[in-house]
Order: sequence, then C-alpha cells, then structure tokens
Amino acid sequence: MNARAAADERGTPVLEVRALSKSFGAVRAVRDVSFSLFAGEVIGLVGDNGAGKSTLVSIVSGGLKPDVGQIVVDGADRTFENPSQARARGIETVFQFLSLVPTLDIAENVFLNREVYGPTRVLRWLKRMHKSEMRRSVVRGFERLGLSLPPPRTKVAALSGGQRQAVAIARVVLWGSHIVLMDEPAASLGVKQTEIVLSFVERLKAQGVAVIFISHNMEHVLRVSDRIVVMRLGEKVFDAPRSDVTAMELVGLITGATTLV
Amino acid sequence: MRIARPFINWSQRNGLFFAYLGLVLFFALSSGRFLTTSNVQVILVQISVFGIIAVPGAMLILSGYIDLSIGSLAVFVSIVFGELVVTRGMSTVWATVVVLLIGLSWGLSQGFLIARLGFSPIVVTLGSLAGARGLGEYISKGQNQYGFGPGFGELGNGQWLGIDIPVWVCAVAFVLGAYVWYQMPYGRHMTAIGSDRAVARSLGIAVKRIPLLLYGASGLAATLGGLIVTSQLDGSSLSIGVGWELQVLTGILLGGVAFTGGRGSLFGVLIGILFIGTLTNGLIVLNISPYLQNVAVGIALVFAAALDVLYQRLDRIPVADPKEEGQPRLRASLKLRRRQR
Repeated sequence: MNARAAADERGTPVLEVRALSKSFGAVRAVRDVSFSLFAGEVIGLVGDNGAGKSTLVSIVSGGLKPDVGQIVVDGADRTFENPSQARARGIETVFQFLSLVPTLDIAENVFLNREVYGPTRVLRWLKRMHKSEMRRSVVRGFERLGLSLPPPRTKVAALSGGQRQAVAIARVVLWGSHIVLMDEPAASLGVKQTEIVLSFVERLKAQGVAVIFISHNMEHVLRVSDRIVVMRLGEKVFDAPRSDVTAMELVGLITGATTLV
Repeated sequence: MRIARPFINWSQRNGLFFAYLGLVLFFALSSGRFLTTSNVQVILVQISVFGIIAVPGAMLILSGYIDLSIGSLAVFVSIVFGELVVTRGMSTVWATVVVLLIGLSWGLSQGFLIARLGFSPIVVTLGSLAGARGLGEYISKGQNQYGFGPGFGELGNGQWLGIDIPVWVCAVAFVLGAYVWYQMPYGRHMTAIGSDRAVARSLGIAVKRIPLLLYGASGLAATLGGLIVTSQLDGSSLSIGVGWELQVLTGILLGGVAFTGGRGSLFGVLIGILFIGTLTNGLIVLNISPYLQNVAVGIALVFAAALDVLYQRLDRIPVADPKEEGQPRLRASLKLRRRQR
C-alpha cells in the first residue's frame, strides 16, 4: 500500500505541517517543510545532527514558534504559544526513556500538569488538588485500558520497565492525546530499556495514536516506522513508505550521497 | 503485618525523626537544664528564623536551584532598616515595609538572572552573598544602629498565647509551605523541574516562573529573618546572618531533600531544622567549646549525604511483578522487608 492510497483511505490527517520555516539568526534550521501524519501511523524522522529534526518537532509541540508556515491539527489551523496549548490539542512529547518523573508516584505522573482541583468551588479557587479523585480515575483508566499496575501511590522509580511503559501509555491515551512526538527516546539506553521504548511505540500505534519518531538508529527507525521522512540541512529530502527504502539508502540520503525523489 | 508495613515504610523514610528523638534523649539525660520550658523556648526561637528561610529554600533545592545569599541579604536589610529609622527618622512600620520590598526585589532579581537568563544559581547567589554583605558594610561604615523602640521589639521578643512571635511566624511559614507543596500542584511541579527540566518543560510546567517566584519568596523570608533578629537585638548589627546559609542548607539536606533536586519532603525539612537547632543548643548546654559546634554541623552535613544515598535506594525498591521480569535483585538490607510481606 503506498502513502497516497493510505491517505485516501484514512481521510483527514491528524497532523499536517504546511510550508514550515524557522531560522535562528543566519541559520535556516527548517526550510519549507510539509508533511502529513495519519491516525495510527508512525513516521520515522531521520537526519544528521543539525538537519532540523528537533527544531521541527519543537515547533509542533509548542516549544518554538515558526517564522512561516501552518500547523493543522485535525483539520484546524493552530498556533501554539507553549507546550500546554499543544497538549490541550492532544499533542504529547516524550523524551528520554518515556518522560516519567521517577520520584513521583503513578497518579502524580499521569496527572502531571493536568491536576484536578476540588471537590468544592472554594477549594478549586484555592487551587487545592482533589488527590483521591485523581487516584480513582487512574485506577479506572488502567482498568479500561486493560493494564494492570500496582497501587497508584507507588513511586515510578520502584516500577519495572514494563510497568513504566504502561504508565507512559496511560498518560497519553487516558487524556485522549492522539499525536506523540518522540525525540531520541532511546538514546543511551540499554537493550532491555530500548525494547520497552520501541514496543511503547507499537502499543501506541495499536491504540490509534499517531507518532513522530526521531532517532539516529536506523534499525529502530526501520522497525517501528510506517513511513520515513529524511531531513538534510533543514529541508525534507525524502518521504516514502518504509518498504520503499533500505538502511543503506537511508544513510546515503542522510549524508547527501544519494538523492532519490 | 498489614498495619505494620506503612509504619515501617514511613520510619525508613523518616529515619531522621528517630535520630532526632535519640538526640533529644541524649541531651536530656546528660543535662538537667536541657528539657526545661525556658530552654525549649530558646531552641524554638533560635530555629524559627532558619525555619522561615528553609521553607522557600527547600523548594528551591527541590527544583534544582539554590540560594546562598540569605545571610548576607538578612544583614543588608538590617543595616538599611537601621539607617532608615535612626538616620532618616522613618517609622519602624514604614521601614519594615520598605525593606521587605527591597528583599523581595533582590530575590526576584536573582530569580530573573537565574531562571530567565539561565545564569548559574550557585555563581549568582554566591556573588550576592559577597555583594549584599559588602553593601551593608559600606552603608553602615562599620557602625551599628540601635534603639528602635518597644513596638518593633515585639516582632522578635513578643509573645502571643505564651508562644514567641518568631515561632508563630515560622509556624505560619510551614503551614503555608505545606499547602503550596502538598495541596497545590506546585510541589509536584517543583519535583518534576528538579528531576528533569526538559521533561517538565514538555509537559507545559512553568519551568521559569516557579523558580523566579521561589527566589522572590526566599528574599522575602531572608528579610523577615533579618528583621526578627534586628528586633531581638534592638539593633542592626554586622554580626547578623553570618553562616546562616550553612545552617539552613544543613537542615534542608538532613531533612532528605536531594541536593540535585527532584526529591524531598517539607516534614523532613522541619525535622532537619529542629535537629540542627537542638544540636547546637545541646552542645552549649553541655558547655562544649563553641569551636566544636561547627564541627558538629559539618558532621551532620556528611550524615545528610549518607541519608541521601539511603533514600535513593529506598526509592528504587522494586514492586514485585514476577510475570513481567525475573525476581528483582534485592540488597541484603532490604530482604527483611520482603519477608514481612
């Protein structure tokens, strides 16, 4: 199945980036980049250091503002002033090893910066958290997703890799987030932890979540991606289904030795 | 067993609490003058200034920042207060308001440099430590001002319901601190910032505004501390604030707040501050050379480093999930806990 046929089948893309550009002084980090992302699709975003991958993802996540271009989420044009606004539209960013805070417990991590206040209006006004309600909804949420976990008060530091993965999945899915941006999520991780990150991507995909996956590791990219986008010197130089490219060709595209498209 | 486990958990994480009880017991048995009402009052008044400053101080360290300027800021505002009241003839109430504003803006300026512009927290507040004291020395020209009248004396020496005013102020600081830390979402946010700033930022947490406001609060607390001591002495003296940063920092770290940020509890900080205050007082009561008191504080700091390692290990006790992974490897010291399950 090629990309265009898939596009017709899946309707509106969940995320569309149109003619995005961003410069830092004289450095043109991202130049006129466009692409679409569909529900349940994983895009592997690759390129050499300084190719503009992280800048591109920061713009989509609300961390940076583009100079020109549009970000269209679920068919509507959006501009994000900060990461909170992007999160409100269902865009989550996941960094190094699942972006969890090990010294906080499960419920605290799932509700981090999305705390529930209350239960009364006065307490909401006083910004007092409704902790028991948050713990209850975490338990309900995990049941709904069919994930088993220790009590919600357990610190994430005490969880196994698989359990942490479940917390990270819950944090994305329970909030109805449907776009996840992952910037080098498996850099400097061991074999076992890397496997947890990669299967995290696969499980998100199974939940219908769309993922942009940045990595320098071609093996990881080829394993999890449906489509691969290559950036070089700020420009998109390649965009095609995974089956259309080999690891060798990818390396050529990244370094500029090969030109396809 | 079921009832015992939370208690065992709690006591492992609050080992300092029992160490503190041991310390009190030791001093009480060594000297009849230690556990008297008047001496307990002395301890509480002495630690209340450190306690007030430790509340925002602990939050800063939890978020991965630090404020070393507190003692110097305290002496600076004390000198300015003396100058305003004695030389300029300003009323003590107005002078109090003015120096509180000075302390707040001093703290916010440091916060701006550190949180907004990304300057190093240690370097900026170290500069402040030297600079604020220097400014105080320059303004005072080495001369102390005194005689602020009985009204202002109430702040440091007055009582309400039989308890000294500074102790009340300290209690209010801790209650407010506990609300911000545990009832509002900021304790979690500070923990996240201290644990991994990039992750906190991607979650939309105010990684710049929170430390900025904490530096403001720290400046305000240091000013309040300086004013309380000025009131107790009924004079602005260059001896105020010497070594405060060490005392406060030792209390915070003893209380289990990780120096690298990302972990800590306000209850622990309270015990840590009590521990340091009781230790120095007990050594005085036992007539031990004042030179050795700093040695005791130093040893307490090293003890705090040991506690930090213990807490890190306790955090990592795995939750058994034999289906998912092999039996977790357990350290000898932790085996006991598993047997009790």
